[in-house]
Amino acid sequence: MAAQSTPHPEVNYSTRVDEISGRARTLNSVRAVIVILIALIMLIPVAWMTLTAFKSRPDAVAVPPKVLFEPTLEGFLSLLTDRRQLTAEQIAEYSQRTDLNWADQIALSRGQVITGASNYPQRLANSLIIAGISTIFSVALGLLSAYSFSRFNIPGAGDLLFFILSTRMLPPVVVTIPVFLMYRAIGIYDTHLGMIILYTVFNLSFSVWLLKGFLDEIPREYEEAAMVDGYTRLQAFIKIVLPQSLTGIAATTVFCLIFAWNEYAFALMLTADRARTAPPSIPSVLGTGGIEWAAIAAGSLGFLIPVVIVTFALRKYLLRGVTFGAIRQ
Amino acid sequence: MSKNSRWLSALMIFALLALVSINVAVAQDGITELTILWAEWDPANYLQQIGNEYEAETGIKVNVIQEPWGSFYDRMAVEWAAQGDAYDMTVGDSQWIGQAVEQGHYLDLTDFLVSNGIDKTVTPATLQYYGEYPAGSGKYYAYPTEGDAVGWAYRKDLFEDPQNMADFEAKYGRPLQPPETWAELRDIAEFFTRPDDGIYGVGVYTQKDYDGMVMGFQNVFFSWGADWSRDGQVMGVVNSPEAVEALEFYKGLYQFAPPGTGNAFFAEMNDVFISGQAAMIMNYFAFFPALINPGVNPYAEVTGFFPGPKGPNGDQFVSLGGQGLSILSYISPERQEASKEFIKWFAQEEVQRRWAAVGGYTCNINVLESEEFLTNTPYNAAFADSMTFVKDFWNIPQFGELLEPAQTYLTGFVVGGEGTAQEAMDNIAEAQHEILVDAGVIDG
Amino acid sequence: MLKNQAAPPATSQPKPGRQISDRTLSQLFIWPTLILLIVINIFPLFYSLFLSFTNYSAIANRPPEWIGFANFDRLLNNDDIWGYFALTGRYAVISVGLQTVIGFGLALLLRKKFRGSGVITTLILIPMMLSPVVVGLFWKLMFNPSYGIFNYLVGFTNPATAPDWLANSDLALWAVIIVDVWMWSPFVMLLCLSGLSAIPDYLYEAAAIDRAGAWFQFRRITLPQVAPLLLIAVLFRTIEAFKAFDLVMGLTGGGPGDATQMISVEIYSQAFLGQFRTGRASALAYIVLVIIIAVSNVYIRTLNKVREG
Repeated sequence: MAAQSTPHPEVNYSTRVDEISGRARTLNSVRAVIVILIALIMLIPVAWMTLTAFKSRPDAVAVPPKVLFEPTLEGFLSLLTDRRQLTAEQIAEYSQRTDLNWADQIALSRGQVITGASNYPQRLANSLIIAGISTIFSVALGLLSAYSFSRFNIPGAGDLLFFILSTRMLPPVVVTIPVFLMYRAIGIYDTHLGMIILYTVFNLSFSVWLLKGFLDEIPREYEEAAMVDGYTRLQAFIKIVLPQSLTGIAATTVFCLIFAWNEYAFALMLTADRARTAPPSIPSVLGTGGIEWAAIAAGSLGFLIPVVIVTFALRKYLLRGVTFGAIRQ
Repeated sequence: MSKNSRWLSALMIFALLALVSINVAVAQDGITELTILWAEWDPANYLQQIGNEYEAETGIKVNVIQEPWGSFYDRMAVEWAAQGDAYDMTVGDSQWIGQAVEQGHYLDLTDFLVSNGIDKTVTPATLQYYGEYPAGSGKYYAYPTEGDAVGWAYRKDLFEDPQNMADFEAKYGRPLQPPETWAELRDIAEFFTRPDDGIYGVGVYTQKDYDGMVMGFQNVFFSWGADWSRDGQVMGVVNSPEAVEALEFYKGLYQFAPPGTGNAFFAEMNDVFISGQAAMIMNYFAFFPALINPGVNPYAEVTGFFPGPKGPNGDQFVSLGGQGLSILSYISPERQEASKEFIKWFAQEEVQRRWAAVGGYTCNINVLESEEFLTNTPYNAAFADSMTFVKDFWNIPQFGELLEPAQTYLTGFVVGGEGTAQEAMDNIAEAQHEILVDAGVIDG
Repeated sequence: MLKNQAAPPATSQPKPGRQISDRTLSQLFIWPTLILLIVINIFPLFYSLFLSFTNYSAIANRPPEWIGFANFDRLLNNDDIWGYFALTGRYAVISVGLQTVIGFGLALLLRKKFRGSGVITTLILIPMMLSPVVVGLFWKLMFNPSYGIFNYLVGFTNPATAPDWLANSDLALWAVIIVDVWMWSPFVMLLCLSGLSAIPDYLYEAAAIDRAGAWFQFRRITLPQVAPLLLIAVLFRTIEAFKAFDLVMGLTGGGPGDATQMISVEIYSQAFLGQFRTGRASALAYIVLVIIIAVSNVYIRTLNKVREG
């Protein structure tokens, strides 16, 4: 437990004044109920999205909205395949065939034949590469800078920090054209590298500021003690500060990942076919019939899962909080 | 800055540049591949199928790159700005042509189309709107590829229900049938608007971003005899009494629209139809295939189609959609030649017949008039009909700027209920007048 | 744990010359970040600053034409633009305000752990993990009076009389705010939670022994201790609110009319959407930048005051 590492003696929670009375305990369960209710309300749209992913096209826009319906994988099929409309004669002929698998059957029920895989998996892979690598970079670089700003007396630190923040202030729509021209000129338009650099930069301001916020909470005394014991500054940083800032690193990682994972405007303008990520692709699952709600919902869900997994994996650190307050003045 | 850090920064920049240089494009020789940019929708898949046939015949691979509708223009425009050669051809929207021609992005195809007789194979209206710029100049920059216009779908089960027919006749004194005039359409819309049953009369375009609202309103606007300019004038034309009346009429139609269609375009039109909320909808013909698909539309068997109705003075116009195939001017001469070869092959009647068969809206005269085409789908007849009275928005380079005030004031009045029709049209006229004077298109 | 770490291995006694000075280390730590930011940002920043003084369209084959302050003059004398600024400001204040209250409130509720609170907290974070453009699109479906679920949930079961959130000039802004608050309150909550868990228990114990009231504890202990992280959250949310774009485009496209024409949507429609007035859009973006810098400065001053005080 983290509290063990603090010089302050561990608090025995059961002795706390406000925890003794029965009234406090009731309050506690009331609070839990309220929280769970709020969580449920907030999750309604996500639940609705999940339902929609399994709806057929007519069910998705049924009036009134359908909660009970016959689930179908149509949406996932629309998302993952390219299909072609068949004429009535072709349908008749095609349905005679016996070698159709379940996916073909679903497509056929809409009078379509599957012509191949869609580019969605490829774009999901692009998203993984670009968001993953850029997150690692922005957290790593951000951590180093944040440590320096937090610990060293850097001349003009306030201005530098403001400069770092200001890079996030210009609306992206207006920066896209210059960035596009620049990328074009140096040949990294529509490349993974270009997007990784861009998202790293995009997230750095946030990462520096947030990590500095966390690092400021870790008392200098720890490293100073370690350095008195003979650690170099670098060793102290790696062995003392790093483990203690895991909460901050986890929170920053999650935020950077979410931003990079979901970014839309730059991805739309700075990628074409090679490096395009998933966000600009999801809303465009338009057939001739208009919006394929089920496919959009399916795409959004599939796209959500990796972030949820990462967040769940980092949950322990995320929610642990900063445990150093004990010796702070 | 210390000496140390200066050295460090130099190293960083160097490392960055080194990384960057890995990605320099490799030049290629010999044309083995043609790349066409189009919007992300089914017709592009059809074009890919036709392209695959081309590859089978000639060995040249055809790649149809699909960009979502929302960013299709942006993607093309930045490519033009960069004078890039990423795409050989584009199936560009009809409104782009002025800009593309004036700024030199499209290759002049006049000689090519005329000397090969291709210009005579497509209907005059499509050649004029998709290929020619400036209007009447006889200079062509595109091969009309995907014809499109706004048409109408309606629910035959509702129209042919005996009770409805009797009630309608009793109330309006004429039989219930697909409307031929806007006034009839309004009556039918009113008749079928029954909120308690969850049915509404008519779905109309109202979308705010880009051009949805204008594309819907124009059908009424033009049919009322109004226009976006006349004799080099905008003031007094755009806000003419007919135009104001047309706008009031359009707002009147919106009263009979299903709830939730205040920011609606083609996708939402199909949605309200599929969900059984609308007796009639307007939509581009390109989006009708879904409506005759029983797997998508529960009412597929009872869906009928009719072309845009006539205005009070008998004028009949519908908004133009559709695109022509153009060659981009920034590609090498070899690639230009290879692209022309493809168009020449694509324009053959036999290929156009197959293009129509897979689902493309051909502009080829003979194919359009063939019995096979007219009866191929329930909407092809209405389509062939509509293509003879299409009309478009401005197609000069400033079309985007001209759209913006129209979109804003039209949605503000029709959907938001702000001000009066007169004020809306006055505001649009004023804004468009200013833009056109600034651009030197008309005299102040 | 710390005790073990703190005892340095005997072999790692620093050797003179091998040790990097703090100064070098700090340079080494900071410069990669700064260089990356400068390399990628400087050109776009200065180029768009330059463009803001020109008449230029990115898609015209014409070089930018220097027109001095004409763009700024035109923009600042345009009542519509001021209206969009006022709208954006109103949106930012209401939306960020609600997020702060709800996020902070949730954090207070979640602060003391109960069984399953970890899982609940993670689940609450899900809205902000979604892509804003998808959120916009999907909420558009939910807000639909006929086949959307939102109206049914809040009690309007008849589509004919239910409010049409996105088509009503008075409601459209609130619709955008509802979605924004839904999406980003968890963000504020998470940062507040981190701040809250840093507050040492003995402060509350001391207060309890002194018989201090709950309000006193909140005002004198909780609030000041959470303030730094809360302010960072508010700062970033405010900056994002001024840049609100994906969500609004997905939901309303700025409409109906210009009821939700936030300043970023206006910039987008000037810079793209067929207009491509790159020069004027850049000028507008710089006006926005100046406003954001001013607002941020106020926040940061407050932040520093809270930290020191």
